[in-house]
Amino acid sequence: MRQTTLTIFVLLSSLLAPLFLAASSFGGENVKVKHIFSIYSDEKEIGLKHPEGVACNNDSFLIVADTENSRLLKYELQDQTLETAPTHIQIPEIPYPIQIHLNSLGEIFVLDGKKRQIARLTSEGIFKGYLAPAGIPSSTSYVPRSFTIDTNDDIYIVDILYERILVLAASGDFKKQIAFPKTCGFISDIAINPKGNILLIDSINATVFSANRDSDIFSPLSASLKEYMRFPTSLASDQKSRIYVIDRNGGSIILLGQDGSFLDRQSGMGWKEGFLNYPSQICINRKGYIFIADTRNNRIQMFTVFQ
Amino acid sequence: MRTETVTMQQKTYIAIWILCSLLFSTPVHSKEGVKLKLGAKGKGCLECHVTFKEKANKTYVHTELKNGNCSSCHDPHTSSHKNLLITYPDKLCYDCHKEILPEKALSVHKIVSEGQCNKCHDSHGSNIKYQLVNKGNELCFSCHQDVRKQMKTNKFNHAPLAKDKGCLNCHTPHASSQQKSLLKESTPGMCTKCHNTGNSQFKIKHMNYPVAESDCISCHNPHGSNTRGLLFDNPHSPVNKKTCTECHEASTASNPLTIKKQSKELCGKCHEKMLNETFDKKRLHWPVLDSVGCMNCHTPHAAKQKKLLKASIIDVCGKCHSDTVELQKWSKMNPLNKKLCEPVKSGNCVICHSPHAADYPLLFEKQSINKDLCGRCHAWQTHSTHPIGEKIIDHRNKNLTLDCLSCHKACGTQNNPVMLHFQTTYELCIQCHTDRKR
Repeated sequence: MRQTTLTIFVLLSSLLAPLFLAASSFGGENVKVKHIFSIYSDEKEIGLKHPEGVACNNDSFLIVADTENSRLLKYELQDQTLETAPTHIQIPEIPYPIQIHLNSLGEIFVLDGKKRQIARLTSEGIFKGYLAPAGIPSSTSYVPRSFTIDTNDDIYIVDILYERILVLAASGDFKKQIAFPKTCGFISDIAINPKGNILLIDSINATVFSANRDSDIFSPLSASLKEYMRFPTSLASDQKSRIYVIDRNGGSIILLGQDGSFLDRQSGMGWKEGFLNYPSQICINRKGYIFIADTRNNRIQMFTVFQ
Repeated sequence: MRTETVTMQQKTYIAIWILCSLLFSTPVHSKEGVKLKLGAKGKGCLECHVTFKEKANKTYVHTELKNGNCSSCHDPHTSSHKNLLITYPDKLCYDCHKEILPEKALSVHKIVSEGQCNKCHDSHGSNIKYQLVNKGNELCFSCHQDVRKQMKTNKFNHAPLAKDKGCLNCHTPHASSQQKSLLKESTPGMCTKCHNTGNSQFKIKHMNYPVAESDCISCHNPHGSNTRGLLFDNPHSPVNKKTCTECHEASTASNPLTIKKQSKELCGKCHEKMLNETFDKKRLHWPVLDSVGCMNCHTPHAAKQKKLLKASIIDVCGKCHSDTVELQKWSKMNPLNKKLCEPVKSGNCVICHSPHAADYPLLFEKQSINKDLCGRCHAWQTHSTHPIGEKIIDHRNKNLTLDCLSCHKACGTQNNPVMLHFQTTYELCIQCHTDRKR
């Protein structure tokens, strides 16, 4: 009789085990984000107005593109604390800053929405000129929708005019170009993960594409993530190569594993702290703190990640 | 003892067999599963359901009814489905008529994909071939009323639509494995069966451009039009004036159909003022700047829609912003939403958003949401006793003031008649009035 029971148990276990394993793997990596603080204004209590950009790839400072106020604000940052008086950078050549990135020297690169050019500033905020790519083999004109800078200071530009990623050296010299994926809808943003892989976000199809460091072809990192996001427009990668996608219309942060697998959907559409309303740029610093330009809420929010 | 061991083994196998049967068995409907008493087949049902006797006498009768196999589709005792059907109504027909829905069809008639076969066919019998519920075009027009209306008002109708098989001269009713829009063949192949492209008249009409291989329906409306030559009712000015060289190389050139410049540069030749105004704005709609440019939304020759739009505004916008259009559709479908905001109801996104460029966020044409956007139709000052305006701070966020969008979601919501951000008014109010939280 014991033998009978044992046989039934073994048989049932072998049949049901895959089901339980599958269920537990859905949980995967349990990552959450927690709100730390928000920036609403400068030292004179002049409120941020529709900020669309935020950059932080250095641990010691943070730059905000205060878009509707036509200015940049540079804040000193010490871990989770922010100096209250920012440096104001207001340059006529940048009337409508919408995206910012920093290179390893602290130089500031700003995409201007009205000029549709990338301006280059010193770390003190002195305008050095617009980025002028040199040596592009085919068409020299380009329309930058977005850009990013890797750890070698190479500049990656999303050129929507010729549907390609332009890779430039820090000097602005052309290095290479990679065509957009054939099946994409509209590429809104680009990020580089710690392995040097290029990531793209397709807003229309809610798909992340990736190309290995030395590859010249993009392939989808996952199937469409429409189920989890409405209209993603920005993305970033942390030190563990996890991908953070900003769902602009859904007001959320979507966390993906480095293989593009869905981990979690955090925050949500709202006005109170911790919630987002038409967020734009996301950046993650070396300590893993996340900064989001919470555009329609007129603020920058800082989050931390915990597991 | 030996006998007992064998019995134990047998018991084990029986137990395993039962368990496996329970695990892997799925309910199966057997069409032949009902054992009726002799002579009762079909006849038994029709003794009570007398109206179906009449159906059985129609010219075209469903084989199962003709053979008295009512239990092929109906369970005589109980069912979880309407009309005692043996399975879901949208799946029932496909049990036998699998070939109707090809696996990889390029276009499928919506009602076919939804399994609503009874919209066109009477499942029991009819006097019209294929057990159709109505004759010829009338059947199609029962849903496609716009085409019927168009046919009645058109100055010029496309002849095949009114003769022989009508709609079915060009379209297939179920699915097309190779063509879009349920077409029987691709264009121009189908068109050139009747229209001789070698004809001198054809060449003159097309300014000697080699259009024999072009897509006819990029200019012509196959359902009829008020413009001679069945051109879509909104032709591009150069098409109307037959000045093709404004955009294309001359018809005598080696590549006559090549356009002289790309998108914006080409369009800018005539639409310079509009483009200059567009590029002078703070924020552009990004597709204006991409490789496709103007052609993302507009068509170059002729269109059914005004301003040479490729489709209706909601459909053009929905091509990329399907998530937002989904909200609009949900709002429209909700029976509670009788007083839905007119631009949302009509899907007229450009009432609030500027499709090319704007100086304000979300491509709003005007700065003040209260006064200039919503205020054009709604008297916001007298809207309610709730304070609203640029001096009223939003309690949820000190950097915001209260405007219409603080409470309303202007593109629509699926769940609230007055387009609130939250499902109930209570949920909205307690966002700020936390002391009233129950």
